[in-house]
Amino acid sequence: MTLAAVGLVVAAQSSFAGSTLDAVKKKGSVSCGVSTGLAGFSQKDEKGNWSGLDVDVCRSVAAAVLGDASKVQFKPLTAKERFLALQSGEIDILSRNTTWTHTRDTSLGLNFAGVIYYDGAGFMVSKKLGVKSATELDGANACIQAGTSTELAIADYFRENKMSYKAITFDTSDQTRAGFESGRCDFLVSDQSQLYALRIGLKDPSAAIVLPEVISKEPLGPVVRQNDDEWFNVVKWVVNASIEGEFQGVTSANAKELQANGKPGQKRLLGSEGDLGEKLGLPADWAYQVIKQVGNYSESFERNVGQGSPLKIARGLNAQWNKGGIMYSPAMR
Amino acid sequence: MFSKKTTEQIECENRPSHLGIKSFYNNPKHRGWIYQSFLFLFLIGFFYSIVSNTLDNMSAQGIKSGFSFLNTSAGFDVLMSLLPFQTTDSYLKVFTIGILNTILVSIIGIIFSTLLGFIFGVAYFSRNYLIKKIAIIYVEIFRNIPVILQVIFWYTVFNALPIARESLNFGDTVFLNVTGLYLPLLVGESGSGLVYSALIVAIVSVFLVKRWATKRQEKTGEQFPILWTSLGLITGLPLLALLVSGVPFHFDYPALKGFNFRGGITIIPELISLAIALSIYTGAFIAEAVRAGIQSVPAGQTEAARSVGLKESKIMSLIVVPQSMRVITPMLNSEYQSLVKNTTIATAIGYPELFTVFAGSVLNQVGQAVEIMFMTLVIYFCINMTISFVMNRFNKRSEITTR
Amino acid sequence: MKAKEFKPLPAQPAPVSTIGVIPWLRNNLLSSPFNITVTVIIVAALLAIVPDMLDWLIFSANWSGETQAACVKDGACWVFISAWSQQIFYGSYPDGEIWRVNLSLLLLAGVIASSFALPARLRNKVSVPAYLCLPFVCLLILDGSYIGLKEVTTDLWGGFSLNVLIAAASIIIAFPFGFLWALGRQSDMPFARSVSVTCIEFFRGTPILALFFMGSVMLPLFFPANVSVDKLLRVWIILVLFMSAYMAEVFRSGFAAIPKGQYEAADSIGLGYWQKTLLIIFPQVIKVSMPNILATFVMVFKNTVFLLVIAVPEMLQVIMAALSNSNWLGGHAIEGYLFVGFIFWICCFSMSLLATSIEKKLDTSHKN
Repeated sequence: MTLAAVGLVVAAQSSFAGSTLDAVKKKGSVSCGVSTGLAGFSQKDEKGNWSGLDVDVCRSVAAAVLGDASKVQFKPLTAKERFLALQSGEIDILSRNTTWTHTRDTSLGLNFAGVIYYDGAGFMVSKKLGVKSATELDGANACIQAGTSTELAIADYFRENKMSYKAITFDTSDQTRAGFESGRCDFLVSDQSQLYALRIGLKDPSAAIVLPEVISKEPLGPVVRQNDDEWFNVVKWVVNASIEGEFQGVTSANAKELQANGKPGQKRLLGSEGDLGEKLGLPADWAYQVIKQVGNYSESFERNVGQGSPLKIARGLNAQWNKGGIMYSPAMR
Repeated sequence: MFSKKTTEQIECENRPSHLGIKSFYNNPKHRGWIYQSFLFLFLIGFFYSIVSNTLDNMSAQGIKSGFSFLNTSAGFDVLMSLLPFQTTDSYLKVFTIGILNTILVSIIGIIFSTLLGFIFGVAYFSRNYLIKKIAIIYVEIFRNIPVILQVIFWYTVFNALPIARESLNFGDTVFLNVTGLYLPLLVGESGSGLVYSALIVAIVSVFLVKRWATKRQEKTGEQFPILWTSLGLITGLPLLALLVSGVPFHFDYPALKGFNFRGGITIIPELISLAIALSIYTGAFIAEAVRAGIQSVPAGQTEAARSVGLKESKIMSLIVVPQSMRVITPMLNSEYQSLVKNTTIATAIGYPELFTVFAGSVLNQVGQAVEIMFMTLVIYFCINMTISFVMNRFNKRSEITTR
Repeated sequence: MKAKEFKPLPAQPAPVSTIGVIPWLRNNLLSSPFNITVTVIIVAALLAIVPDMLDWLIFSANWSGETQAACVKDGACWVFISAWSQQIFYGSYPDGEIWRVNLSLLLLAGVIASSFALPARLRNKVSVPAYLCLPFVCLLILDGSYIGLKEVTTDLWGGFSLNVLIAAASIIIAFPFGFLWALGRQSDMPFARSVSVTCIEFFRGTPILALFFMGSVMLPLFFPANVSVDKLLRVWIILVLFMSAYMAEVFRSGFAAIPKGQYEAADSIGLGYWQKTLLIIFPQVIKVSMPNILATFVMVFKNTVFLLVIAVPEMLQVIMAALSNSNWLGGHAIEGYLFVGFIFWICCFSMSLLATSIEKKLDTSHKN
């Protein structure tokens, strides 16, 4: 009996060596690797519901493949576990604000399926210090969140400018904030998206300023395993569909209406014309389900990190290409 | 002449030969070998499958293997190191620094936890109600709360200190603020060698005097004031050398320059919090061990000591504590080992010991889990084996010699 | 000669009273100058700390409300705890299914209680199998998919109940392993002995944090490519191995406490090795090892908190995750840590009391 029970659990969790898309359809849910808690990107609420920009990617994929955005199994991962969890088949998508770098893309057996947020490491300092630029930070203590590519970016930046610093590395963002607030470090380095979250967590947010320098490129996006082009395409085009949705003006509110009598481009996207879904191995209304259930990129952005959230991050680089940003979906045809 | 055969002999002789296998199996020695060969085969198979699976998986997932990564440049900064470190140094250097930092905090922790443990363990027997209760409360509170919470707690307490510009100033020599404790550094100039050698001579002579005093006491029963003599030697000789050589030392005082204090010695709050938490947590367990050890000494020993007229203070140090050490030392051994293992919780506050910096930051950059975890585990294992070895040697000396 | 006149000595003063408040104070607090100083310092320190602490903890604390906005007063924000209480105790286990977690906890309590309450004759026959089956029964109940209930995947399990259940499940399974290793360690077979010693020393000599980490990043590589073992199961394997090493040492000291005569008596009535070990020695070892077993359990229970470093949503990890929720930014970290510390303290302290009382009971039975 004992052996049987163990066997059952093992069998239940076995991954499928073949196509991820078939496996996902078979088990009826998408396993999604997220962070243990990162404001605006993946966070759990009091009821245990996940939300955030990273989370929405997984929900969109579930909506496209299974027609139900709620069929996602979220697996919180630490920074160190994330790639192995994907490689070993424990998760189907890694959507854990992971920076797209050359090394990761080429040497880990992984593929980045797009960019959902263009980020960059920046500095936050206390107003009292009177520092106007990062070049005045010579000899200062830095609070850094462990397990991020920021650790390397800041080392490069200080070496480049012939300055010294001391890195105090914390495990979680809350500890980083507490360290900064107490004065343990003079400045805080993190991805800009997180700086805003950290800043509003301060007892007096107005006492801290975010410096203008952005010292690294941190394009964040979902990751899938290499050598599974079918699944890679699905995730890539689901991300694109939500960006294209915003460009075409399709929202969760008007999707139904536009599916029936929208412009040709809108109809093609929403599956009432053409066979975009079929080519991906998905139902014809895949993108309709994504936008209907999760919303287009703009809705997701504003809800999680933008004006509809406590973080109030401006679109900036993440605006559509025709609105001053660099969010651009390849053609949906 | 004929001898009568015992029933056993008859049975042996009449035993049919086809039972040979069974009797072979029933021989405990043979059976032992059979069991062990099964175990051996099982282990071979087990390790073979693990190794082959790992290699397969690593090649399938494109994970690199081997230890060549150790020579690559780290590219990140380490908060505290006992060796000079630059971001361009190799991962091997990071590994060394991690080991040194682990050993440093372990030694500090072992010293202070032993002190705390003995103080509170003895305080349990105090006649002062408050002292006794506080000893009990100390033990019951601190050993029953997960140590990771205690580290975070002390770190939070440290974070409540003033910032660098408003640091607590102790006579312009010692500064305490949220970024750490700043102490003046004693810097030796030329000629300081004489003082160091005087110190060494003093320490050696203390040992010699002690040996002589013990011998004399065993022979004549006369006691020699060993404590005062040693103190005199250890302070006197270097002091004399200091005066002769014209004080070849100066202090390097910490001073606020730019953002932080420069000069002197900096003790970072992460180290202090971790050391405090580990000392207090392990100290609670040691106090409990000391209490059990003292209670294990039969009351008759104390009574006998009183009856031969020993002073109360001498009874503790000459009769009770030496006997209780037999019970205490093995427990100290395991407490010290768990202290070393618990240094890994530094990862919660970012003190750069082996686990945080090597199995943390380096693993994160390199991603070679197997090699890195293997190296890390081996180091902890070695440190603990060393402790075990030392404590067992120590324990041998306090064991009862049975006649 | 004049007879000596009888002169009574002056009456001695009445002996100092040893009962009542003042004598108690004199004897227990103020018996010597040193004691007086210590007493004064301690009382002053208590007076300085306790009122402020109580004020922050209780009187100025925020008790009611549902969101962070409800925390307006200076004191602790207990709203944070109450808002997240379900997560803290049950993790993300679905609302309607929480009875299954409670049932598992009840089963655990029931089995423990029965092992104390049952008469000695039944204890070994009923309690041992009950203990050994318990983890797997709980597994079936919590997972649900094999017994016709709604499947709840392990990523939803969490909170304090996870700390309790995984600690219990680990130590139960560690029993047979630990016993085997302890037997191996004192056996006459050289190879078996060295294997046991290696296992015990390896798992005792390495930090649990590193072992958890190994379970999370290394174990997946050990399994064949098409099998991926659930993370919680991997953690369980690690915890079981770790605990087995500690239990083996507990049993070893238990073996040492059993009089040699017991072995010889068993041999003399012709019992085989396993009969002797399981029927004669094992029950006695369990009895004398009980306080140590409890202490080991307290240790593993406290160690489950370390699971947070590999993102298993145990109690402290839930607090950490809650602190990074964008609606709760601003740091109620202290409240969270205090709460976790308090819960663990209650549990561990009561277990150590239990261990002490068992120890006392054992003590008398040996003297008789």
